[in-house]
Amino acid sequence: MPLALITGTSRGLGRALAERLLAQGWTVHGFSRQPDAWAPPGFVAQAVDVGDPVAVRSAVAAITAGGATIDLLINNAGAAAMNALLLTPPEVAADLIRVNYLGTFHCLQTVGKAMVRARRGRIINVTTVAVPLALEGEAAYVASKAAVEALTRVAARELAPQGLVIAAVGLGPVDTRLTKAVGAAPLARLNQRIGRPAGTTIAEAVDFLLGHALDPHLANGSIHYLGDFPPA
Amino acid sequence: MLTRPEALQLVLHRLAALGRELGKPELERADEQTRLFGETAQLDSIGLVTLIADLEEDIRRATGRDVVLADEKAMSRLTSPFRRAGLLADHIVATLGAMPPA
Repeated sequence: MPLALITGTSRGLGRALAERLLAQGWTVHGFSRQPDAWAPPGFVAQAVDVGDPVAVRSAVAAITAGGATIDLLINNAGAAAMNALLLTPPEVAADLIRVNYLGTFHCLQTVGKAMVRARRGRIINVTTVAVPLALEGEAAYVASKAAVEALTRVAARELAPQGLVIAAVGLGPVDTRLTKAVGAAPLARLNQRIGRPAGTTIAEAVDFLLGHALDPHLANGSIHYLGDFPPA
Repeated sequence: MLTRPEALQLVLHRLAALGRELGKPELERADEQTRLFGETAQLDSIGLVTLIADLEEDIRRATGRDVVLADEKAMSRLTSPFRRAGLLADHIVATLGAMPPA
């Protein structure tokens, strides 16, 4: 039975990804910052702050201790904030880097080692269409996700010889709690810009992400954006 | 905790396994002077990464301790602990010795 680790499974896209993989027969381990009482068969939750490398190492060791190998890591945990660049509080910028970039880095590094030991594995980092759009009002968020994309490309090159495939999937606004704070008008404008005027449901986002994550021909280092974008 | 001979044994055992995997019989005859990294070494950077990832798991299985061999201190040392098999064994013993009791 294949095993996936997904970060940010307490709600939203992470929870939906876990549900879909469980339905397909996967064992799913989920990291969320707060303890998660959700416990369907095949799902194992751990309370982990992905920005804390010691906590990540300990949690991953708990998964692999019995000899289990992680087939798929989805670095989904993320934070978002909209602020005019010149008014962005430094604490907000630091938190976005800590959760979005460093959280991805720590999980990729720790799970990457376990995958190198298995000489195989697949890692999907979640990014955003706001990067190629250079979206105004999201400078700190976009920068943190651009770092995730750069990490994806370098990691793919470094770890390909050991059998790992690493790619990123960029989503637009998805109907989750993360986008609740954004006004309807800016969301509509953004959805229009990416050619998805009706927006994106969680189910559509899951289809798109897992369609790439489980694609046997997924190109190493590739970045796939949902919407009208040329392949990156 | 590991003794120095036990740590060296882990390194040599893992080098031999890598040698079989990579088709490098020299690694199966490795000893403490075997160069791991550098111009005349048997491993390239990818091989060294693989060795360290494998060894960290070997150490965890042997001691129950979760170690990081390539930490900032190790990477900035004048004499790299990854240069020779014996130096790596020394580094493993020192790293475990510096850890707080479990």
